[in-house]
Amino acid sequence: MNTGRAVVITSTAVLAASLIAAGWFGARLLIDRTDNALIASLGSGHDVAVSPDDPPALLFARLHFLVTRDRLDEAQPLLNRLAAGGDRRLAVAALYDMANARLRLAIDHLGSNKIDPAIPLVRLAKDNYRRALNLDPGFWDAKYNLDIAMRLVRDFPQLDVEGEEIPPEAAKKLWTDLPGLPRGLP
Amino acid sequence: MGLRARMGLLLLAAAMLTSCPALAQLRSVDLYAPRPFGYVIGDAIALTAEIALDAPYVLDPASLPQPRPLDYWLDLRDVRLKDHGIEDGVRHYTLDLVYQTFYAPLEPRRLAIPGVALSAVDGERRVAVNVPAWSFLMSPLREIISTAPGQAMALRPDIAPQPIPTAATMRRLIMVLGLTLVAFLALAWQKGWGPFGRRRSRPFAQAARAIAAPLATAPDAPSYRRALLALHRAFDVTAGRGVFAEDLPAFFEAHPAFRAAEAEVRRLFAASRRVFFGDDTQGAQRELPPLELVAISRRLRAVERGGP
Repeated sequence: MNTGRAVVITSTAVLAASLIAAGWFGARLLIDRTDNALIASLGSGHDVAVSPDDPPALLFARLHFLVTRDRLDEAQPLLNRLAAGGDRRLAVAALYDMANARLRLAIDHLGSNKIDPAIPLVRLAKDNYRRALNLDPGFWDAKYNLDIAMRLVRDFPQLDVEGEEIPPEAAKKLWTDLPGLPRGLP
Repeated sequence: MGLRARMGLLLLAAAMLTSCPALAQLRSVDLYAPRPFGYVIGDAIALTAEIALDAPYVLDPASLPQPRPLDYWLDLRDVRLKDHGIEDGVRHYTLDLVYQTFYAPLEPRRLAIPGVALSAVDGERRVAVNVPAWSFLMSPLREIISTAPGQAMALRPDIAPQPIPTAATMRRLIMVLGLTLVAFLALAWQKGWGPFGRRRSRPFAQAARAIAAPLATAPDAPSYRRALLALHRAFDVTAGRGVFAEDLPAFFEAHPAFRAAEAEVRRLFAASRRVFFGDDTQGAQRELPPLELVAISRRLRAVERGGP
């Protein structure tokens, strides 16, 4: 009879605990499924509003949606949120995608000979690539694109050591020092 | 220190010792570094310095460099000092330094990581401890002028968003549901719920087991009475209350399976009435011989089990 009582108590306890766990996992699954549906709809080109409390994967999906449409100012708060968050993989991806968007925009500007707006974009892109590489030094795509950005606007010791904004005339001078914008061979 | 085995040993004896008293206090500074070539933009470089000091001296923690950008192309990412304690009057330290280079060379180029100036103190005196500089070759990632087909400045593609992985949660949910089922079955089995109820209480099986042996070996009056009592108890347990002859219609109503043995049950109750109310065990035994009583008990056991 004692073993009977023990079986009843143990199985009731296990039953209660596993029911709670099942409820929790079920809720998690439901939430994740909903978020995945939102991510999929962002991926198929439908904008979805997100709140800062949404999971990082959804924030990143929105950020990707925005940066691929050159809405960089709207994407910046999401990037700050992701870069400060705990998910290192998504922080790297967000920094990298943002940097790519800025660099693409800068190259577009340079293509139409608009040099002044291009330089700050390249500098911001470089900064984002560096932060991404800080988090993941083995990220080859970021290395490659940072190399492209570096050759567009090279770093120079005297400017960085002073740590000041480049004066506009220096930026212009800097541009003339560039190894060359390879639009067609010389 | 498995790292050290992979590293090329770059032993720079403490040649930087300047003052005479310092010679006695600083035993050695050995720098262990990885390969000095083949670095590209963004690579992290881990240097390890092993420092040995004479016992009273300790490294001044305030002289350790802080992680910071050292140059426009070089970041100091991580500084970690491990104190291995005193051995034979010599205190050993391991200083791990992690740098990250962001130089974008157009051709292979030699760059130098500057040395680190530390100091050791023993209370009043202060001794300089210099970790030497280290130089390495950086390599370009791309050619100077692209000769690849297609666009000259093709960026590497973006990272596309991925759905939140749910497979692990699903697996855990299934495992937990399995556990729920097992726990529920254990509880139902123990409590005799549902289909376990029939397994759980089989009073007629118990009664049949209890009366078969005594009646077969010694079919006397007391064992006959005991056998009848055992069968009555089985009826009571099955019905959940006392069952007398006048309750039989209600009993068959509630347990229709026993209708198959209605004639036997009525015979049993008639015999029992004779024994317990007429005090006529002899007559009852004539009417329902002990061996037939055993047969009835087996029949009832079969009915109870769901058989014919």
